[in-house]
Amino acid sequence: MSGHDSKYFSTTKKGEIPELKEELNSQYKDKRKDAVKKVIAAMTVGKDVSSLFTDVVNCMQTENLELKKLVYLYLINYAKSQPDLAILAVNTFVKDSQDPNPLIRALAVRTMGCIRVDKITEYLCDPLQRCLKDDDPYVRKTAAICVAKLYDINAELVEDRGFLDALKDLISDNNPMVVANAVAALAEIQESSSKPIFEITSHTLSKLLTALNECTEWGQVFILDALSKYKAADAREAENIVERVTPRLQHANCAVVLSAVKMILQQMELITSTDVVRNLCKKMAPPLVTLLSAEPEIQYVALRNINLIVQKRPTILAHEIKVFFCKYNDPIYVKMEKLEIMIKLASDRNIDQVLLEFKEYATEVDVDFVRKAVRAIGRCAIKLERAAERCISVLLELIKIKVNYVVQEAIIVIKDIFRRYPNTYESIIATLCESLDTLDEPEAKASMIWIIGEYAERIDNADELLESFLESFPEEPPQVQLQLLTATVKLFLKKPTEGPQQMIQVVLNNATVETDNPDLRDRAYIYWRLLSTDPEAAKDVVLAEKPVISDDSNQLDPSLLDELLSNIATLSSVYHKPPEAFVTRVKTTQKTEEEEYPDAGEQSYSDSPARVAESGASPPASTANPQHSAARQPAAPAALPDLLDLGMDNSSSAIVPVDQPATPAGPPLPIVLPASSGQGLQISAQLIRRDGQIFYSMMFENNSQVPLDGFMIQFNKNTFGLAAGGQLQVPQLLPGTSASTLLPMVLFQNISPGPANTLLQVAIKNNQQPVWYFNDKIYFHVLFTEDGTMERSTFLETWKSLPDSNEVSRDFPASVINNVQTTLDRLAASNMFFIAKRKHANQEVLYLSAKSPRGIPFLIELTAVIGTPGVKCAIKTPSPEMAPLFFEAVETLLKS
Amino acid sequence: MISQFFVLSQRGDSIVFRDYRGDVPKGSAEIFFRKVKFWKEDGGEEAPPVFNVDGVNYFHVKVVGLLFVATSRTNLSPSLVLELLQRIARVIKDYLGVLNEDSLRKNFVLVYELLDEVVDFGYVQTTSTEILKSYIFNEPIMIDAGRLPPLGPAAMFMQGSKRMPGTAITKSVVANEPGGRKREEIFVDIIEKISITFSSSGYILTSEIDGTIQMKSYLTGNPEIKLALNEDLGIGRAGGRSGYDYGGSAGSGAVVLDDCNFHESVQLDSFDVDRTLTLVPPDGEFPVMNYRITQEFKPPFRINTLIEEAGSLKAEVILKIRAEFPSDITANTILVQMPLPTYTSRVSFELEPGTVGQTTDFKESNKRLEWSLKKVVGGSDHTLRAKLTFSQESHGNITKEAGPVSMTFTIPMYNPSRLQVKYLQIAKKSKTYNPYRWVRYVTQANSYVARI
Repeated sequence: MSGHDSKYFSTTKKGEIPELKEELNSQYKDKRKDAVKKVIAAMTVGKDVSSLFTDVVNCMQTENLELKKLVYLYLINYAKSQPDLAILAVNTFVKDSQDPNPLIRALAVRTMGCIRVDKITEYLCDPLQRCLKDDDPYVRKTAAICVAKLYDINAELVEDRGFLDALKDLISDNNPMVVANAVAALAEIQESSSKPIFEITSHTLSKLLTALNECTEWGQVFILDALSKYKAADAREAENIVERVTPRLQHANCAVVLSAVKMILQQMELITSTDVVRNLCKKMAPPLVTLLSAEPEIQYVALRNINLIVQKRPTILAHEIKVFFCKYNDPIYVKMEKLEIMIKLASDRNIDQVLLEFKEYATEVDVDFVRKAVRAIGRCAIKLERAAERCISVLLELIKIKVNYVVQEAIIVIKDIFRRYPNTYESIIATLCESLDTLDEPEAKASMIWIIGEYAERIDNADELLESFLESFPEEPPQVQLQLLTATVKLFLKKPTEGPQQMIQVVLNNATVETDNPDLRDRAYIYWRLLSTDPEAAKDVVLAEKPVISDDSNQLDPSLLDELLSNIATLSSVYHKPPEAFVTRVKTTQKTEEEEYPDAGEQSYSDSPARVAESGASPPASTANPQHSAARQPAAPAALPDLLDLGMDNSSSAIVPVDQPATPAGPPLPIVLPASSGQGLQISAQLIRRDGQIFYSMMFENNSQVPLDGFMIQFNKNTFGLAAGGQLQVPQLLPGTSASTLLPMVLFQNISPGPANTLLQVAIKNNQQPVWYFNDKIYFHVLFTEDGTMERSTFLETWKSLPDSNEVSRDFPASVINNVQTTLDRLAASNMFFIAKRKHANQEVLYLSAKSPRGIPFLIELTAVIGTPGVKCAIKTPSPEMAPLFFEAVETLLKS
Repeated sequence: MISQFFVLSQRGDSIVFRDYRGDVPKGSAEIFFRKVKFWKEDGGEEAPPVFNVDGVNYFHVKVVGLLFVATSRTNLSPSLVLELLQRIARVIKDYLGVLNEDSLRKNFVLVYELLDEVVDFGYVQTTSTEILKSYIFNEPIMIDAGRLPPLGPAAMFMQGSKRMPGTAITKSVVANEPGGRKREEIFVDIIEKISITFSSSGYILTSEIDGTIQMKSYLTGNPEIKLALNEDLGIGRAGGRSGYDYGGSAGSGAVVLDDCNFHESVQLDSFDVDRTLTLVPPDGEFPVMNYRITQEFKPPFRINTLIEEAGSLKAEVILKIRAEFPSDITANTILVQMPLPTYTSRVSFELEPGTVGQTTDFKESNKRLEWSLKKVVGGSDHTLRAKLTFSQESHGNITKEAGPVSMTFTIPMYNPSRLQVKYLQIAKKSKTYNPYRWVRYVTQANSYVARI
């Protein structure tokens, strides 16, 4: 063989396909092999060479393994599009699976498993059965994985043919590679099945722990991950397990180390002896630190995990803060994570060292890193009371360098420090005021204005300073406008002289008449009314004492932290999100681990998780932390929400009285929390629409032994910002009883960023049980409003006015329209309104319209042959990003 | 388990693409590349190695300018995937001798064959070049290594990888020499990457050695090898505390490792007794042992920086480096860099009279001073004077707006930890059998920084 493979990429002048065809049928073996290589080359660059299928398959009957492998590669790629021709290969496959050469036997089952064509699958069973019991371990380990492949194509077949038992037998195989693959296959099958298939008993545990020592590094990870689901019976067993896993910490493969750490952390929960725990912590520290010597990519994963570990067990790395100091050549994503951990490990003992580092970082080149370093100093000040003064002096030093973004960042954190230590450090205000005119970022401006308002009585020229901002009031972003409004009111209340009085007139006028921002307007009206009716009350409200804020560097909710810790060494621990928040694969098993975390307390994870996974990188969830939200409404943190609620009750019809008759009717609700997972509490629920209002229709069944009461509900951020519009009204539930309720829902409360999806995460608590979390689905059509109907002419105009890029269509091959009127009635019941219809050949074309909240129209065109499956749905809308959800809704409606 | 594996060039062309599970749409390579190229979320310029787009998780590592990428839909172990990507790169390099776009394209059939054996249905099967040899039938097509730019050790930082330093061996472990005869040889490299941060007064704030004993064996018949290290080698600091509280051990001259780990082929039976490692080296390049040291060591270079203001619009920077290693050792490819204040408009340089092999530059775009020296002999000093001109008056504190000074360098046949391979024994009966044994030491700067 001469030359290079790349020559296969070159095209010939003559028709390529006929030429290849000729070569594939050549009588010379080498020429055939070359031809197949050319075909593969064309395939990998995306050319369609499927027309050569028969010719390529003809080359399959060869003893030459190199050629055989090439043909198989081709088959895997094209069998799906040529299922009828793929059958031609079956005989050779079956023959190969009995070849004397174990490599050929393994290759045959491996390839057959990759061809997802029913007709091939049928023929796979017998060879697979044989290969699972093959003499050669290479064949057995390939067959083990093949069972998982088959399960993915046809689960029933796997169960019927007894492959699961065969797989379980392989756990006791004498070859560790086979054991590892069997474990991996079983774990995957368990993941997608609701039945208990792969349960780890103490017997399998000890078998697998023994296999662990002989496995390849990858097999060790499979086994450790499978074993991490095992719950030891008592402290002694836990100690035993840990003892056998600990040597893995010495492995050169970081994945093995992290999986071992996970396993040890989990068993440590059961270990009661403090000596043993302390000893384990000591053993885990060096390997964890060593992970930071790996490639930066691995370091990143390690740091995200360490971030979680130090929140739970700060002692492990308490003395190792130096290893988290940033290196000059660390990538930015590593530096950011190191900073986060430095803050977590900062203590009175090491703060001087840490501050020296932060100060150095704050003068580096990378702007984002510098900002984060400045924030870090502020967070340390808030966290460590005794170091606050030193932190502030570093911040003041940095302000003096007069680098614009450093100054702005410093002012933001100093505002937080003022909140944390009132009446302590205000002497520095004068220095801050010097930088007033350089501020151009909203958050920094808002912080500075808050400081001026809060300390108006100590700043002689507070009125002048505020006035300088007022000129540009209409152009400022809302964040700054809100602060200006509040600060002016504070100034007026503290210094009720002529100047401030004029200012407040201007501000209130600007904030009520000149604005269309409802938040600003509402706040201005409240102040206005307060000031005009009872200035003393206004003082009590606006100048009320503020609750002290605390450090947010342990920002994760304890229940979420526990869940994430049980997912150490998985993606979940990198994103800091529970797996169900990003794993899109449908999982039918119900989680049972929840029982482990009984102390979830009041908090549901409504605010904390969902931020990070979209990006992978991780700013602290700073907008969710207490001091920020408090600082944004500094006027009266405690009183203000009440006032707003009052206002809303009077003006808004969004909230329905909570004593709405609780009588959901209709078909039974889907079970969202089965009794088996809810310690006897079963919850069924579904979003429904009634009389123009969205409700969460729920039913609670108490199958436990105790009465349950004090039910509360909370919804996590979701695409539509759905949240409870009232209290959850559930009476005390005696054992064996049930109750139904309709919970009114409101929209746009806590909208999750990112692409639109239908996930609705719900947390339910009561006084007797831990917090239950479950996922529900938002059916988009529940949100369609009653005013979605449209005139024909408007429909046409809107259709034309939208650019073609806003048109999306999808086929529903399984849906069928048997009767136009019935379908239209059904759609109308979900607020999809009929506009017109026409006939095109034998197809019926229907035009409809719908409107989602906030008045976003959807123009719909349904095309179908009556009585024949297959409906095409085309839509045009200003929000095409909602199209997938819309199609899902239409498909559901057409089905029902 | 992973769903897909692909390799992209720097321009985003897909060089290799293998789908293992068919549960991630085909366009994933484009989605990935666009996301990485335009990564702006959270302000960071560089995409993190793991992220999620529309329910698909993307993992990537950069190896010799190529992007090795995997996708998955499940909550799997990210460190497993990232390790795997590095290992795939290493296996391919073992086979092809050289890993680059050209060699991948020329050997695509072999690469696909390898990928099918390394991963099945998304599950890693093996990444051992040794084991793979029995299942792989394609022969590598060597590319002309002479046309490659020299892959000196300094290039390793461009590769962004710790464990694949440019050992300058560009020979495939499976292909035969042109003469058809294989040369019997074994390479053992002790590579130490050092990180030091000096305070402005020259005091050492942090120091660390990341070391690897790397092996690449071309011995036929896989004989057993015995590797002896310093007999008084200690492991684990007393008390397990960080910082400088190891005092006594540094004085006694013993090498103390904070932590170490070993390749799975290494037998540690006699390690505790006499610090020898026994192993049957698999084919291919692999780290026998990784270790980490924070014990005090003598820094090979001292850096002195002096900034003198000369009026409001001018200043002079004097950089002095001193090589504090023996005079029979020479460091090469030294680069000293220092960020200058952003309002620096012009810089003029003055080297010592009679110097050769030194160049200076002021990088206008990122306001950085660069001083490169081809060679520095142990015991010598070198000084650079740079006169800066500013476009605006300084805020009065230039030291806060310039620096720190960082250095990169390579010092062959020198290792600051004093860890040694005392002997390398190859167990084979024949007396005439005497393969080439190469034990080489090299020290490289990782993060070598002096604050000013």
